[in-house]
Amino acid sequence: MIRPLYIAFVELNRYIRDRGALALGIALPIVIFAVMYGAFGGGTAFNGTAHIADLDPGPKSDELIDRLSQVQGLDIEFYTESEMDDALSRSAVTLGAIIPADFSKSLDAGEPTSITFRQRGSGGGEGQIVASIIRGAAQEIADEALVRSVVNRSIPDAAATPDAVDDTIDAILAQAADSPPVAVRTQIIGEDEQDVILLFLPGTLVMFLMFTIMLGSTSIVEDRRIGILERLLTTRLSVNQLFIGKFISFVVIAAFQAFILLGLAFVVLRPAGPTVFAQMIAFSILVSLALSALGLVIAGVSKTQDQASWYGVSFTLYMSVFGGAFFDAGTAAGPLEFLSRFTVSRYAIDALRSIASGAETIFDQSLEIAVLGAVAALGLTAARLLFRAAEGGR
Amino acid sequence: MTNPHDSDEFLVAADIHKSLGGLQAVDGVSFTIRNQEIFGLLGPNGAGKTTTIRILATVLRPDEGNVKIGGHSVVDSADEVRKLIGVCPQEVALYPELSALDNLTFFGRMAGLGRRETQSVARENLERVGLADRGKDAVSKFSGGMKRRMNIAVALMSNPALLMLDEPTVGIDPQSRSHIFETILQLRNEGMTVLYTTHYMEEADRLCDRIGIIDNGRVIALDTVQALKARIGDPDSTTLEEVFLDLTGRSLRD
Repeated sequence: MIRPLYIAFVELNRYIRDRGALALGIALPIVIFAVMYGAFGGGTAFNGTAHIADLDPGPKSDELIDRLSQVQGLDIEFYTESEMDDALSRSAVTLGAIIPADFSKSLDAGEPTSITFRQRGSGGGEGQIVASIIRGAAQEIADEALVRSVVNRSIPDAAATPDAVDDTIDAILAQAADSPPVAVRTQIIGEDEQDVILLFLPGTLVMFLMFTIMLGSTSIVEDRRIGILERLLTTRLSVNQLFIGKFISFVVIAAFQAFILLGLAFVVLRPAGPTVFAQMIAFSILVSLALSALGLVIAGVSKTQDQASWYGVSFTLYMSVFGGAFFDAGTAAGPLEFLSRFTVSRYAIDALRSIASGAETIFDQSLEIAVLGAVAALGLTAARLLFRAAEGGR
Repeated sequence: MTNPHDSDEFLVAADIHKSLGGLQAVDGVSFTIRNQEIFGLLGPNGAGKTTTIRILATVLRPDEGNVKIGGHSVVDSADEVRKLIGVCPQEVALYPELSALDNLTFFGRMAGLGRRETQSVARENLERVGLADRGKDAVSKFSGGMKRRMNIAVALMSNPALLMLDEPTVGIDPQSRSHIFETILQLRNEGMTVLYTTHYMEEADRLCDRIGIIDNGRVIALDTVQALKARIGDPDSTTLEEVFLDLTGRSLRD
């Protein structure tokens, strides 16, 4: 068993020393991740910016801005009134909110006040959403101010100190915030509403693993071309040991790259917790086993590096296009669904999506594990037979 | 590095045949190599030299016939044969990304050496091929001559009794070639048996004790250099190239 491990060690050593492959291996997951992050902005939650000119020196506008800053995905940019007008005139901003100078004073006095939205045209979709968020936060503050005003006016001066009244109101409001009389819940109907990151991450991961394995298969062809494989066959190394060593190195490199891509995604985007991460890594290793076996088949049938590259690219394209990297193969219909059944990636991606969503665990993926295990076993057997049939094989 | 076979004949190839892709590459080749001799196998391109060496190296199985190396059959006891041989192929079969020492260590481990033994044998062989101070450098940074010397060093990692060198001096400078000659002669003097193929007749003339000339998959002449020269003229004034051309003809082969 030492010799296969030593072969795997040397393959990894070569991989690490090959700056091009290493750069590709590390840079590619980062680039893919950056594209995903750029495309989806870290999730499906709203992302926008509130452009605010705060003219009020009092505490109520601070409270409003504090509440807005707690809204997930909402950034706040501050302007003077003239800067705001200038930005609007240049269309740098399509909607801005002006908090008037008497905002706090009016609220404290229980008098009406207003926030002005200045906008170009309709203010744009993002502007309208931001305006709704500001309107809601301002309404909350106004309601609370109204409650304080009414309560203070209703209680005779001698009945309680103003501080005691404020404390009581704060406690009631906090209780209401914790257990609102009208709760708002979100129900996700259908998988189209699934988090985009969770939808695309498994497909991207599997496609990436396929590329890694296919690149590995070309290196075996190159080893054969320059005589290293034949030289090894004149040593005391058996073909099975050589075969297992190459297989182990494929799996380790693929698992390493899966770790980088998933690690980045989970650290930055936090699509799910560490348990899901661990399960996805474990399942990625299983996928790597199946793909590594197929990589060896490609190495077995290819006579030149170009041939191996073309087989690899064609295989990866077929698996990616029909295997559900860009759509949900499970809900597809007609020929697309039929073709997807003959791809490894469909089963890999289906399982990874289920695990990523938290709806199922790795232990619920019995069909997918069976398919991938069978592909690994059949692939290894076929590749071994191809090595035997090749000139000089045994 | 002593031959484990008592007989004077360390390698006996008996009527070996091999067809590849429908072509009869080796067609009844027979020859022997004696203990501690340098045996030259010469022939034009496509004559069957490399196929013969691949059979001797246990990479290919002969369709007919057999080869015994150190008393072990390449057909029935290939694993035993592999313990006795070191093969230096025509190609520079090295991992270019790895250092010279890493390459030697890897092939040493594959040859069955232990970790410590591998290290000491690797350093010894680096010294032998004149690369002791370049052990940590990546092979990709080596010149053509250095790579060829490394190719031989790797073949020596198994401490072979029979060293097979398939055109080991292709495309290298005179200094490296001379160093390789000295290394081969030194190895022979230490007790190693050497099978050497080349297209350079002067190399064979200088190095080999006996020469077999192979053409169209058959051995057409086999003798000492002097005896071969005497076949066509005065051995002192006849060159081996003249003998070779006389035996194999002047028509182009590829």
